[in-house]
Amino acid sequence: MAVAGIGGLVGALGIGAAGATERAAGTAGAAGAKPAGNQFTQMLDGLQGAVDKSDNLAVKAATGNLTDVHNYTIAATEAQMMTQLTVAVRDRAVEAFNEIMRMQP
Amino acid sequence: MSMFPVFDIAGSALTTHRTWMDAISDNIANINTVRRTTDPAFQERFVVARERPGRAGGPAGIGGGVDVAGVEFGDTDGVLVYEPGHPLADANGMVRKPNINLADQMTNLIVAQRAYQLNLAVVDRARDSYLQALQINGR
Repeated sequence: MAVAGIGGLVGALGIGAAGATERAAGTAGAAGAKPAGNQFTQMLDGLQGAVDKSDNLAVKAATGNLTDVHNYTIAATEAQMMTQLTVAVRDRAVEAFNEIMRMQP
Repeated sequence: MSMFPVFDIAGSALTTHRTWMDAISDNIANINTVRRTTDPAFQERFVVARERPGRAGGPAGIGGGVDVAGVEFGDTDGVLVYEPGHPLADANGMVRKPNINLADQMTNLIVAQRAYQLNLAVVDRARDSYLQALQINGR
């Protein structure tokens, strides 16, 4: 599954050689698995939304329009968690990609 | 909607209990609001909570937290108190005060504050759990 993830990731990021990687993913046993590029883009959109929400509430706090303190702190926590999750997914994908690249014939 | 629904659920409870604390604060603030006997007394404020339905696609049977459905009001009769020197007193020396029990309000305030703390603890524990899940096989 992780290997299929790289194919999509590489495709989404436009690093190149995506076709080869995807083919490699296909032979690596992840037959039928779709590239995760779209999912990763969706994840980035979600992260962007969470960060935007947190930023808006921070502006409200600064301008004195924040009605509930916990709304901001929770939004900030959520944005932080989503950032960490996104970074973790990226790290794992890149790690797996590097592992494939180190493969010796 | 959110990737971490527990934050939404606990957040809704935090908002609801903060509203309840607002209502208690209003009740205590007006506990000495004196009216003429011909006028209605200050009415005690009651916050009505309502459970929030679960999100679409979420696990069946688990709701989405709690919302404030509205505010209900106590009686307008209040209590008649004999204060002949009061400028608002009627011919018999009576004024109307709100029928609010301060001990009840303070008890409710403690309950509301504790419930607020509990939901903050839920947020804290959920955050810890998610962060620990991110540490799996991490470097």
